[in-house]
Amino acid sequence: MTVETLNRQRVLHLLDAIAGSDLQAALSCCTDNVDFLTHAPIDVLPHMGPCHGKKELGEFWRTVQERYADIRYEVPQIVAEGDTVAAYLRVFFRKRSNDRIIQVDMAVFYTFRNGQVAQIREIIDSFDLVQQVLEREIGPLIVGDRVDGA
Amino acid sequence: MTEHSLWRFSRALHRAINDRHFEDIGALIDEDVEWALYGPIDMFPFLGARQGKDAVLEVIRQLADNFQVRRFDRESIMLGVDSAASMLRYSLTALDSSKPISLRVAQFAQFRAGKLTSMRVLIDTFDLVEQALGRAIHLPKMTSVG
Repeated sequence: MTVETLNRQRVLHLLDAIAGSDLQAALSCCTDNVDFLTHAPIDVLPHMGPCHGKKELGEFWRTVQERYADIRYEVPQIVAEGDTVAAYLRVFFRKRSNDRIIQVDMAVFYTFRNGQVAQIREIIDSFDLVQQVLEREIGPLIVGDRVDGA
Repeated sequence: MTEHSLWRFSRALHRAINDRHFEDIGALIDEDVEWALYGPIDMFPFLGARQGKDAVLEVIRQLADNFQVRRFDRESIMLGVDSAASMLRYSLTALDSSKPISLRVAQFAQFRAGKLTSMRVLIDTFDLVEQALGRAIHLPKMTSVG
């Protein structure tokens, strides 16, 4: 089995663990000083700031799981080369507060070290994500209106 | 060793956007290509999904009408046999305002016989919109439900 095949399987295993709410299994896929960065407006989504180390990443995943249930991933494309894997993900979350479904497409780039995930970088269509989280169009804000607290 | 299709496509794309030279890129796109640049299409009409070479070439023309690529850096790149994924940092100039725009972009491409058959691009679109507006969008902080 090539290192690319192995790393691809490791990413799918990590995604299964997150979707299955098994955060211990998910964290065991990562190095102790795993580095996580997603590009999203953290003034709106403060829990989506950078994480360094298993403890912070575990807290981030726990926050997501407290707010969302039935997390499901589709993987339309995955590319691996050497110690890196890029996955194009379509992710579905059900909001625990009102059962609404959020669907987000994201690009996730993983870097492995000694068979464990050492770095995660995400790019999300963040404008769409914010609208889905807020459950409203944010176009009016662009023309100067403010939205009351959600 | 044969050059990966991504490199030819990338060179041709930048030549099309910056020099309005569309012949090379046209030769590298499959007739049935599937293409998606995810983002707010009401603000940026060249975003969204397209199918077919003619529709994709029209998008590339619209990009050339609106932007100049000043610089791009590949922060991460993975090459498969007929596929590629990369994370890039683009420095653009919006041609209507001469405003600089800096974008982080993820690109997933698939090729067949050297031609592009699928392209999916994700952008940190909230950041893009704020840069295009030239100001921050004020939103409530989501401390409990986001």
